[in-house]
Amino acid sequence: MATLAPPEQKTPTERVRRKGVTEQQRPLWLLTPGGALMTVVIVLPLILALWISMIDLDQYTLRRWVEAPFIGLDNYVESFSSGLLNSIWISVSFAVISTIATVPIGIAAALVTQNKYRGRGLVRAVFLIPYVLPSFVVASVWRTMLQPDGIVNAWLAKVGIDGGLWLSGPTSYWTLILVEIWAAWPFIYLMSLAALQSVDHEVHEASAVDGAPWWPKLRRVILPYLRGPVLLACLLATLNHINNFTLPFVLFGAPAPEDVNVMPMIVYVTSFQSLRFGLSAAMAVLSLVLIAIPLFIYLRAVRLDVHEEGGRK
Amino acid sequence: MSTTSASAEATRLLPRWMLFVLTAVLVALVLVPVLYIVLASLNSDVGVASGEFWPSSWSLDSYSRIWTTADLSTGILNSLIVCAFTAVASAVLGTTTAYVLVRYTFFGRLTILRGLVGLQSIPGTLMLLPVFVLFSSAGNYLGVTVIGTRWGLFIAYLTFALPFSTWVMVTYLRGLPRELEEAARTDGASTLVILWRIIFPLSLPAIVVSGIFAFLLGWNDVLFASVLTRPETHTAAVALQIVGSSQEGGALPVYSQIMAASLICAAPVVLLYLAFQRYLVGGLTAGGVK
Amino acid sequence: MNAKRLTALAAVTALALGVAACGGDDEGGEGGAGKTLNVLIGANTQYPDEFQAWQKDISAKFKAATGAEVKFETFASANDELTKIQTSVVSGSGPDVYAVGTTFTPTAYSTGAFVKMGDEEWQKIGGKEKFNPATLGISGPDEQNQVGIPWVSRPFVMAYNTDLLKAAGIEKPATTWDELTAHAKQLTKGDQYGLAIAYKDNFDPWKFVWGMSTQAGNPLVDGKTAKLQDPAVQKAYQTYFGWLASDKVVDPAAVGWTNPQAVAAFAKGKTGYFLLTTTTATNSLDQGAVKGKWKFALLPTVPPGATSRPANGVEAASILSGDNLLIADYSKNKDLALEYVKLVTDQDAQLDYYKKFGNLPANAAALQTLASDPQLEPVTEAAKKSVATPFTGAWADIQLALTNVAVQTLPELTKGPINTGQLDSRIADAQKAAQSSLDRAK
Repeated sequence: MATLAPPEQKTPTERVRRKGVTEQQRPLWLLTPGGALMTVVIVLPLILALWISMIDLDQYTLRRWVEAPFIGLDNYVESFSSGLLNSIWISVSFAVISTIATVPIGIAAALVTQNKYRGRGLVRAVFLIPYVLPSFVVASVWRTMLQPDGIVNAWLAKVGIDGGLWLSGPTSYWTLILVEIWAAWPFIYLMSLAALQSVDHEVHEASAVDGAPWWPKLRRVILPYLRGPVLLACLLATLNHINNFTLPFVLFGAPAPEDVNVMPMIVYVTSFQSLRFGLSAAMAVLSLVLIAIPLFIYLRAVRLDVHEEGGRK
Repeated sequence: MSTTSASAEATRLLPRWMLFVLTAVLVALVLVPVLYIVLASLNSDVGVASGEFWPSSWSLDSYSRIWTTADLSTGILNSLIVCAFTAVASAVLGTTTAYVLVRYTFFGRLTILRGLVGLQSIPGTLMLLPVFVLFSSAGNYLGVTVIGTRWGLFIAYLTFALPFSTWVMVTYLRGLPRELEEAARTDGASTLVILWRIIFPLSLPAIVVSGIFAFLLGWNDVLFASVLTRPETHTAAVALQIVGSSQEGGALPVYSQIMAASLICAAPVVLLYLAFQRYLVGGLTAGGVK
Repeated sequence: MNAKRLTALAAVTALALGVAACGGDDEGGEGGAGKTLNVLIGANTQYPDEFQAWQKDISAKFKAATGAEVKFETFASANDELTKIQTSVVSGSGPDVYAVGTTFTPTAYSTGAFVKMGDEEWQKIGGKEKFNPATLGISGPDEQNQVGIPWVSRPFVMAYNTDLLKAAGIEKPATTWDELTAHAKQLTKGDQYGLAIAYKDNFDPWKFVWGMSTQAGNPLVDGKTAKLQDPAVQKAYQTYFGWLASDKVVDPAAVGWTNPQAVAAFAKGKTGYFLLTTTTATNSLDQGAVKGKWKFALLPTVPPGATSRPANGVEAASILSGDNLLIADYSKNKDLALEYVKLVTDQDAQLDYYKKFGNLPANAAALQTLASDPQLEPVTEAAKKSVATPFTGAWADIQLALTNVAVQTLPELTKGPINTGQLDSRIADAQKAAQSSLDRAK
């Protein structure tokens, strides 16, 4: 993924380029509505969650949760012995594989709907369907189709393959990936489609005059335009995969087979079935930290500075 | 290459045969499971439960029964209201926020940008209890009922959608040339006027995209909707969940009705998309910048 | 420029505003002339029309009796319900009355957020005597500390296919687990199977293990000690898994079945026995090919590997199953809540509920009137022979641990006899989880 990082062209002197705006004219107040919302609905609950992760909150203390005993990092220590690391590994590997697999599909879909033809609107709408169906439905449908005697195995049997069990044991990991890919590729598609719109018409025409064959043209001229948005899409898609709870929950139920005991699953079960809110909050915070650290290193590496593409125009 | 369709040919990115093959494969990839859903919705509950692909008896029964099995109509109406507001508000707020982040440098800007991505990695299961506690204490201490209202749900969804909307707009706006705004500013236009007259129209494709995503976020959420709503404010996803829940002991699975319900729930979004998709194309070059 | 687009955007906004205006915000009826009682109850997707009619009917009766309104909230699934209870407890606001599954009662009790029923409270709902005594078995840890008011019973029984059993020369349904296995072997031939079992159900598997183990004299929890690592438990799992893995008397597809799917499979009329079902399945079964050819019977009460129950064994025909009503202690309408409870546990209301939804009455007099129904006889007997699962706040975890053993073993069931060593290590894990939860129990 890192190889896709956008070229770094910006120099500090570029800032000088912006003229006509003095320090006082910066409309920073425009940030306040969003900032206020995020403070109230995300930051405050997050602080509360941090607090919960350090108290012994379970069904016995739930009613008077403010008085629940403070136990420091005990919950965090216990997290490590509760299979959390394994769950994080499953989550991350599942998420990365799913993302890598959806990128070519999503880009291909964007490319084939770039040109106008009769029925394109319909095809575009069709491409959106997996994304529009709620996870809950997607999971129910696949769960039904992947039953031991479901239609997938029936079809496989016709060509002489024994499908086996999709929803239990080691195969369940790949089932989860498969269904996630099916449900999530339109996200990459939509992001690529939006990005393709920013390709100037002249660029197309210039390369058409060159008579360049499609692949070099695609690779050298078009794909660079997609790099930024698709990269962002990859990042967000990976995070979405990691946090996808509904899909594994409905596909496999709780308790889940060990091979798909992903992080949201273990957090949910600890919290809402074992009723250990403190422990589950610690688990979630730990996984948040473990995911956020590489994420921030990565974000630093790609330099999020936003002016370089404006420069390229 | 014929000269008459040179323009169309120029933007064609893939060879014709490949376009055809890829489209066919992708459409099949989507439609086979969808076909299963459609067929199952036309089957009987028992038929689907016994693993039929082609219904042994066709009927529209599920489509009429589903309205009483779960309060789907209330759910869809609530979802439409909440999600439409979320979509519009998050697209507008996202655009203004992104505009400031893209066009101005200030202390903490990069931190905000990184933070916006970081926010995406917070698991919903972690936030559920704290958000609920916070919302309910608004009721207990401030006397404002948040839980069970549509706007409480709207506030939650808006906030969850905002980081993403902002990011979509950031990536889009930074590709936007600055000349028009600068000309307008020289003419004495204020920031709000520039946003309204220049930025919004120019970035409509991205606004639509971020609006769609915000809409879908709310449309698909079950976790928060199931605790933040009351029966009269249930969303479609919650109604759907109720159809899908099998009860302990005895009930036959209502598979056919689930499929019918999910198609009904998907329909408004697909229609909405069809209505909006012409704003997804065109975009920059049509804006008269060149 | 771009006026069109702006217009479109504005139009959408206006539309959205318009829609919202039409919808309006419901503020609930609180603070109005009459009070409102909020009741949380499971959604009924099996009889949606009847369910709505019942709600209307109860609301009308409640209004007539008290002048107040009842508002029903529904939950989709057991998990959904637990989430609702927790969020309400933590915030001290939410429904006034909860209808919860019996096995949830210990968990709910352990939060201390529900009204303990004293003599006065029992009197207000018409006296403790009006209930079938067995149903009070899981209302609280002891007589003085009861929170759960029995509402309906759903004792577990098995259903059998009368035609298939007759054809196989079996005169009456099995009464020991070994006999059941033998019958199942006799019944399995061609596309016909001996047993229908929902192996992938999230709630079924532990009931088998608990039942067989209790019958063998080990009720899984002894005070503060979990007793999962026990020959009785191991034998129970082996019997339960063995039906598919070694006896091969279950359709291999059953590894993917939840309870409703097992109902559907039995309804096709190609299976001898359907273990673990209850009266609410009646309607479903009568929709299938098995209509008119099936009967309920008591689940075996003699543990596997034995011909009679050991001295310390308990005749547990079923877990004590059904719904209890709980009154939230944060409720500002406790008297109304008691009125509601009284209303729905009275004889007529209970019989009406049975007729509509097939849940057995918890009201003794109502149950008595059903005793004459021969089809129901095994079920009413199971209701009397139901045994409460251990009343501890740790029970939810123990249940989860027991189910987890089944979930992790599923992929091996289709590959021949199960590996005892692996099973033992999974049971050991379950024991650890159960014990640590019991250690935290207060």
